[in-house]
Amino acid sequence: MKITKRKVKYLLLTMIFTFTFLSILTYFKPMDYLTEAEYNKALAPRVLYWGTQGEDVKKVQWRLVQWKYLVGDVDGIYGPETYRAVRRFQQKNGLKVDGVVGPETAAALGITLSEARPASSAGLNRQSDEYLLARCIHGEARGEPYIGKVAVAAVILNRVEHPDFPNTIAGVIYQPLAFTAVADGQINLTPNKDAIRAARDALNGWDPTYGALYYWNPATATSKWIWSRKVTLKIGKHWFGV
Amino acid sequence: MDKKNRRWLIAPSILGLALILSLAWGYREYTMRKNMEVTLENNYQRLFFDVKKHVENVQTNLSKAMVANSTEQNVLLLSQIMNEAYFAQDKLAQLPVPQADIAKTQKFLNQAADYSYYLIQTHLDGKPLTNEQRGQLANLQENSAAFNSELSKLQAQLAEKNFVIGSLSSKQTARVEKGNENIFQTTLVNIDKNMAKVPRLIYDGPFADEMINRKPVGLTGENISKEKAMSIAKDFFGANKVRKINSFEEGEHIDEVAIPSYNFSIQLANTTDESVYIGISRKGGNVIWMRNSRPIGQEKITIEQAQRKALEFLESKGFKNMEPNYYQKYDGGVLFNFVLTEENVTIYPDLVKVKVALDNGEIVGFDAAQYYSYHQDRNLNEPQLSLEEARSKLRDDFEVNSSRLAIIPKGKNEVMCYEFKGRYLYGEFIIYVNADNGKEEDVLQLVIDENGTLTF
Repeated sequence: MKITKRKVKYLLLTMIFTFTFLSILTYFKPMDYLTEAEYNKALAPRVLYWGTQGEDVKKVQWRLVQWKYLVGDVDGIYGPETYRAVRRFQQKNGLKVDGVVGPETAAALGITLSEARPASSAGLNRQSDEYLLARCIHGEARGEPYIGKVAVAAVILNRVEHPDFPNTIAGVIYQPLAFTAVADGQINLTPNKDAIRAARDALNGWDPTYGALYYWNPATATSKWIWSRKVTLKIGKHWFGV
Repeated sequence: MDKKNRRWLIAPSILGLALILSLAWGYREYTMRKNMEVTLENNYQRLFFDVKKHVENVQTNLSKAMVANSTEQNVLLLSQIMNEAYFAQDKLAQLPVPQADIAKTQKFLNQAADYSYYLIQTHLDGKPLTNEQRGQLANLQENSAAFNSELSKLQAQLAEKNFVIGSLSSKQTARVEKGNENIFQTTLVNIDKNMAKVPRLIYDGPFADEMINRKPVGLTGENISKEKAMSIAKDFFGANKVRKINSFEEGEHIDEVAIPSYNFSIQLANTTDESVYIGISRKGGNVIWMRNSRPIGQEKITIEQAQRKALEFLESKGFKNMEPNYYQKYDGGVLFNFVLTEENVTIYPDLVKVKVALDNGEIVGFDAAQYYSYHQDRNLNEPQLSLEEARSKLRDDFEVNSSRLAIIPKGKNEVMCYEFKGRYLYGEFIIYVNADNGKEEDVLQLVIDENGTLTF
């Protein structure tokens, strides 16, 4: 009778453990996704400083006037008065006192800095390309030397230009069965600085592979077909080919 | 006794509760998975039916284009063919089949679209279709018809067997090894095999075989040995600057890339790792690119100072008459685009990029791949039009800030144009007007911010 009881107890404990484990497994969501705001902050912040003009400056001045840091006109020109007001604001709020409105100061002011652009070019930039490429590099070539990262990005860009493949960066990256890091979700990890740098270098034209369309890791490649490709260069763990 | 009995009941009842809970949880997971599978499958089915429809439209529009006689009608039909072919290609590439199985089909669709665009351009230039072009259209028509009938057969078979496309991605590898027993993949593979036999399309466009397999024209001289390349690499950085130099491992087909090269990773003196890379062409032994991937510290020099450094560097490497164009500031460095100028003509194909670190002015990047791909001796003819004549081809309200003569690439050729940089409705643009016939060859939109200029 006693043994049964103990058995039941053990069984119960195991049940509870499995249960907790399962529920953690189902509901746990790793918080390593960059939000768009964070990404913008890390990459290409618009910065207002002495001499800047425009709508954004007006927004800053308006807030500073409202909160009594600035006594003066809201004229959209970042002059000495605005500069001093910004410094006072930064001092009061424990920010870096530099008289420059970057993303952090802007956030503390409760405004977002938009770029004052004409409608014809509003929103035109390369950030989404950069970010997507960087994510793919990070997923596919995290442990590779810097040149290996650029090479992976170059292969993606070479595919975009080639008739055998889709014609957009997203089309190439998300083509089913094309990249293992996409299939297993590693592409959703936050890209590190090196990945972003490599993406930019590749987008600016550096192609260390001279037009390669394929790469694979000979130690882990599962597709037999990939071995029929012609190897041209080996960088880090990857073989590149056409 | 009663007490004992009751205590004995606690464990099973908790267990029972746990069982019910886990069953409920399992059921929830199951329905969720089912839901996602159905959603995915619906998407795949939609893609498949769309591909079928788009290919059908390509086929019928091609037949119509062969009958139609007027330029207007042909331009309309060709623009539809272009659209439909790109749609088909885009959707085909989203189906869960390996790239290798549909590569040639994608190429067929991309080239069909690209070729249509090329024909639209010749039509707009007022040139009628040549017999050769008619022949190529007939070929395209025939092949798209064959493609379409294969897809029809496949569709009928899929309907009969109630085939689930989504099952391809999960058991994909196992299935291929079992000898391609599923009809979906086999049919696509067969279509792809037939596409490989399609005669080569001869035309001028970015997806034409001729453009893809282009050889660099700017490299001259004998092939060099690896030892020679190594000494060229060392000389590039200066005497005693290189502490260690290692060659990248090469594959046996290294000669089949666009610019066959020797590639090295280098450790410079006073550094701790091999963070500098360089590529040197086998033919002629030219430095194609160099990149120092060291982290860059606090910004200390201005863009102007950096530009002077870059120009000095280019002079020292034998690049004369290079003119700075655009720059992009990123990651602590600034990348300049330099283009060759000859007799006051800016020659855009001959482009060299130089990246300068803004902490100490060191050259951390150099890329002449494009320069060596296009550089050649050119006969610069006097333009037929004067600047004023070309200027009159622009919109009256386009506010011109600067103008000059430039050579721009156009397909596989180059054309001499007047370049007009200016503003229209607060947007910055560059317009290229052909210097001989006044045709508007290209329009670029510029996006200028504090980090430099991007062209779109």
